Amino acid sequence: MILGDFGTSYCKFLDLDAPGARPTIIATKELPRETRVDLATGHNGKRFADRYVNELIALARGGEALTQEEEYVLLDCGSRDIKFIRYANGKLADMGWNAECGASMGFTIELLERYYDLDYAHLRVPEQTFSVTCGVLGMSDIFDAVISGVPVAEAVARFVKGIAINAYRFAGSPAKLYLSGGLCDNPLFVGSFPCQVTPLGRFVLLRGLEAEAHQPSPPPVS
Amino acid sequence: MTLDPASSVAIMSRFRKIGIIGVPPLEIIRGANEHGLVIHDLDEPLVREDLETASPFLPRVYCAILRTAVVNALHLELDAIYADTGPGKCDCALHTATILAETLPIPVICTKNTDNASFGTPLCQARLPLIDRMLAITAGVKSAAPYQNPPDPCAPTAGFWGVPPRDFSILGLFPDTTHIHGWARCMENKTPADHALEGQFNPEVPTVFFAQSFCAKTALARYLAKKHPHALYLDVDVHTTSSARAKVQAFLELSGVRP
Repeated sequence: MILGDFGTSYCKFLDLDAPGARPTIIATKELPRETRVDLATGHNGKRFADRYVNELIALARGGEALTQEEEYVLLDCGSRDIKFIRYANGKLADMGWNAECGASMGFTIELLERYYDLDYAHLRVPEQTFSVTCGVLGMSDIFDAVISGVPVAEAVARFVKGIAINAYRFAGSPAKLYLSGGLCDNPLFVGSFPCQVTPLGRFVLLRGLEAEAHQPSPPPVS
Repeated sequence: MTLDPASSVAIMSRFRKIGIIGVPPLEIIRGANEHGLVIHDLDEPLVREDLETASPFLPRVYCAILRTAVVNALHLELDAIYADTGPGKCDCALHTATILAETLPIPVICTKNTDNASFGTPLCQARLPLIDRMLAITAGVKSAAPYQNPPDPCAPTAGFWGVPPRDFSILGLFPDTTHIHGWARCMENKTPADHALEGQFNPEVPTVFFAQSFCAKTALARYLAKKHPHALYLDVDVHTTSSARAKVQAFLELSGVRP
């Protein structure tokens, strides 16, 4: 059984029939059109599978598989949106999916790194931050800061910190959170959260799909 | 214009077709029924016109239901509009009525519904598709007749708190055993200004607290969702977005609510 997490910028796959196989990743723009999987999630996923699991359910199931805790917040920062689930006493207590005001945050962070030829592994977490609610709107803050003499790297770092703080507030400002998504690999982003962060990597939704795969299939929709 | 209910009814002999915004007092509806008037509920999408046609009159960032009411009012050939602007509706409706009165060549009559005679809420507690029940509740606004053959109540497995959404498709995600709370329940009860009833919810079942985006009721919906032990707060604008659908679907499934 092949699982697929079809994200805006990257698609992740896992073959459950290949023992010990690791997840694979491919840029969405390079994904062959004829790709088919058995179980899919992600906002592009419905096009590539007969059985689809919505992203929040995949995130929650992945969190259940990976955290083994009764109380936690799991925040997924994707290329296009942010979403979180909060569990209390082992049960779902709160959730959110910001596809509009959280628009394009991850996408913009990656875009800026390429455009300004930066390496986030070498940028320190800045003291200051921008008040960023949206990747697109936050770009203006960068341009204004650069015009006023702030070095590009510092301006971009403030932007990244602003995005992290916005995501943290969206998740309910917890003292501790688990982070999911490709931004787990961005030390500037992870270090910009004003709370304890445990990165779980970019395959949390695949783990959720794996849990769902072991559930009986729902009856077909007539 | 603002008229007392008796005067509002007295002028109905001049009309054939009226529109209503919100829930006008029962006396008005009864009068319209007795005069045999055609009533259009302007809060519902009734014409195939772009919502943007409301933008010269209302801001784009405004309650989608009232923007819909303006589009309907502009495109339906009405003889008059009765807009409830009392405590059972909102200031946004009051301002919309003012704008429509200046814009349209027909009377726009403001009412203040403070009816407090309960008609009951059988549909809110019945075991039937949520969309069908909400359609029946909104259709009931146009009639002053008592309810006939009410369905039996069922034990709830989920709750929907809020107003009838502009886009009913979100309701299709809920099980038939969902109980309706909030202003929609007040509508069925024909007491739209009953804020105590509006504030009630069932803490025993997972509940979605819904409000239209940019509506004052977003504050109440979010406040009550925080008080409820197992709730999802949700606001939706014109159409149900895929993320809104996914939130409701995930909330119900992860809460153990069966379809």
